Amino acid sequence: MKKRMALVLAALMAAGMVFAQGSKESGASTPAKSTGPVTLEWWTWDPTMKDQNVQVIAQYEKDHPNVKINNTIIDTKEYWTKIRIQAQQRKLPDVFTMSSGYLEEWAQNGLMYNLDSLIERDKTDEVFYKSMMDSTKSIAKADHVYALPFALVTTVLYYNKDAFDAAGLAYPNEDWDWNDFRDAAKKLTIDKNGDGVIDQWGFWVYGRYAQIESWVYANGGNLLNAAKDQFAPDQAALDALNFLYSLVATDKSAPPQKEMSAFRNEDIFTQGKAAMWVDGSWYVDNMRKKLGNDGFKWGITRVPFGPSGKAARVTYGWPDSYCMAPNTQHVEEAWDFMKYVAGEGIDISQYMAGKIPSNIALSKQIVDPNLQPGTDMELLSTEAGEPLKTSYTKGWNEWRGYRSNEAMGLNGYIDSAMNGERTMDEAVKAATGDINAVLKRYYK
Amino acid sequence: MASKSLAWHKPWTPWLFLLPTLVGLFVFRLYPIITACVLSFTDWDLLGDPHFIGLENYFEAFHDPDTWLVIGNTFKFSFFYVIGGMLFGLILACLINVKIRGINFFRAAIYMPVVTSSVAVGIVWLWLLGPNYGLLAIICRHLGIRNMPNWLGDRHIVLYTVAFVQVWKMSGYYMILFLAGLQNISHELLEAATIDGATRPQRFFHVTLPLLAPTTFFVLTVAIIDSFKNFELILAMTKGGPMNASNTLVYDVYLNGFLYYRVGFAEAIAFILLVIVAFFTIANFFIKKKWAHPWD
Repeated sequence: MKKRMALVLAALMAAGMVFAQGSKESGASTPAKSTGPVTLEWWTWDPTMKDQNVQVIAQYEKDHPNVKINNTIIDTKEYWTKIRIQAQQRKLPDVFTMSSGYLEEWAQNGLMYNLDSLIERDKTDEVFYKSMMDSTKSIAKADHVYALPFALVTTVLYYNKDAFDAAGLAYPNEDWDWNDFRDAAKKLTIDKNGDGVIDQWGFWVYGRYAQIESWVYANGGNLLNAAKDQFAPDQAALDALNFLYSLVATDKSAPPQKEMSAFRNEDIFTQGKAAMWVDGSWYVDNMRKKLGNDGFKWGITRVPFGPSGKAARVTYGWPDSYCMAPNTQHVEEAWDFMKYVAGEGIDISQYMAGKIPSNIALSKQIVDPNLQPGTDMELLSTEAGEPLKTSYTKGWNEWRGYRSNEAMGLNGYIDSAMNGERTMDEAVKAATGDINAVLKRYYK
Repeated sequence: MASKSLAWHKPWTPWLFLLPTLVGLFVFRLYPIITACVLSFTDWDLLGDPHFIGLENYFEAFHDPDTWLVIGNTFKFSFFYVIGGMLFGLILACLINVKIRGINFFRAAIYMPVVTSSVAVGIVWLWLLGPNYGLLAIICRHLGIRNMPNWLGDRHIVLYTVAFVQVWKMSGYYMILFLAGLQNISHELLEAATIDGATRPQRFFHVTLPLLAPTTFFVLTVAIIDSFKNFELILAMTKGGPMNASNTLVYDVYLNGFLYYRVGFAEAIAFILLVIVAFFTIANFFIKKKWAHPWD
């Protein structure tokens, strides 16, 4: 009986493993245009883009009567789990959106079609920013382009023009250095009713990647070693981190992270609780929706260069891209649709404000003087052509602290310094051991 | 006649009727549990194939100080929640176990947080407890109290803050269970105690509470199991922070499984949690057998 039970259990486990492994299909197909009707599966991660996607598909199907597009939109939080399962089963959609954060891992697992020959044949890098394609190669640590960027996101300094006007200060600009920023932040920190509680902070910063790395790269620093497999912040990075720390600990022109726990990160600036804020350019969309033209006046400018960063002019930015399944049966159709949806066939209204189109012609249209922040938006297309840097590695989510674990990882360590539990140097020292233990697991 | 009508009955006939349930039990319960157990011995990132690594995930879990911190948090949360939930549930049940006009309104009002989304509850409490700008801080400032604890930012109290909110949310559920138990207690016994000169506290501690023992043990079992299901509030309020101070096993399973895609490790953590829950549930049944004897 025991033997029989053991056999049954072994069979169950084997079945479990088979289920977990799924089926495997062959690798890349030879590019060839299909003669009959073709249905392309297209997966995207942003449900707010549903209407735009419907418009794009209608236009594309009208222009290409033999191609039908099935768009599956999944909320960002679930997208990666679902598409990973598709990848594991070797049933990836023909075209799908890809975050720079996963490029390296997916490239190493051979889960994206090599686009080199198609780009060379169609001279795609003359229509789309080559700097963005190069960025995908560098992030993926690959010699080939596996992803066609549709937009670049970068980080900017948002500032409240009304608050600057009220304080009699000149608006920040590209020539600002850290001292200019520090002076303004102090003057913008105000207890309006004298009750001992600051009503408007000069600046808002916590350990979030988009708020920290911007300053590190603007000072010419690096958080990682050259091979990008170890956490090894250099002196310029440490200087940037300590500068931010001093705004909270010494100047008290920015609040400790724990003081703002009742707010969502993106609401602190829009609610007027901070006069300056560094975060992703994609928040332009959120601010336009929340403040419109009737709320306070605001602008964007470059994150101030640090003393070691002005010469290099490195931008913290990364592309969002489209990829093709390595085993798609419709390479030509998928490639044609990718180029179309990445910019060739769409107009600027189909972009989230603050994302810079990778299509060069389209990127010139992001400035709308009728919408805030007006001509300041030119900054974004300037940054799109500059050298880009990120801290993405395998396991980035885990060591950086992002979304559901944003209170942990490097984010948590930096916050512990901002919250007065230790100095920034102590936080970085403690973080280094933990982060490298995580990275060691991913780069065995 | 009877034997003729049952001629179709064979020894395996009951199994035929049980089959749909057994298939459901196997496919939706046992098979996933067994598969999860198998996966806990693998390294799997969902992209490639799982690699068998023996007990490595378990060794890693037990050698990682963060895992011990998370296990400790899980026990602290559970202890605070179970005691708090049962105590508040019992007090509320006693308060509303009266027949007065409009009592159903209060019963419904107290029960309402139970059916409210945990995420919504978490966000509202974030606003209430926020330092400086939260409602509680503003009220206290007007009352001259300035040194309020940072309920969600202080790593020493954040876990208890989240546990308190969970108690506030779930007390109504335990109240209903206790109320059912209270209403089953015969009034004759309470009247007899009153005639014998028992005071109100004496009636409660020497009559009501012993007679509630079966309900209390049932509530205890349910509360212990509930105490380990604390995912949504932690996600909405603290995301396990600051620095793991409010991270618990169930949240850690989520992080490892669905954010880091360390499926094998997440399964190992899930099985550690399973062992803990099973231990408490079994212990509870043994204690119940020994102690929970109503006067029957």
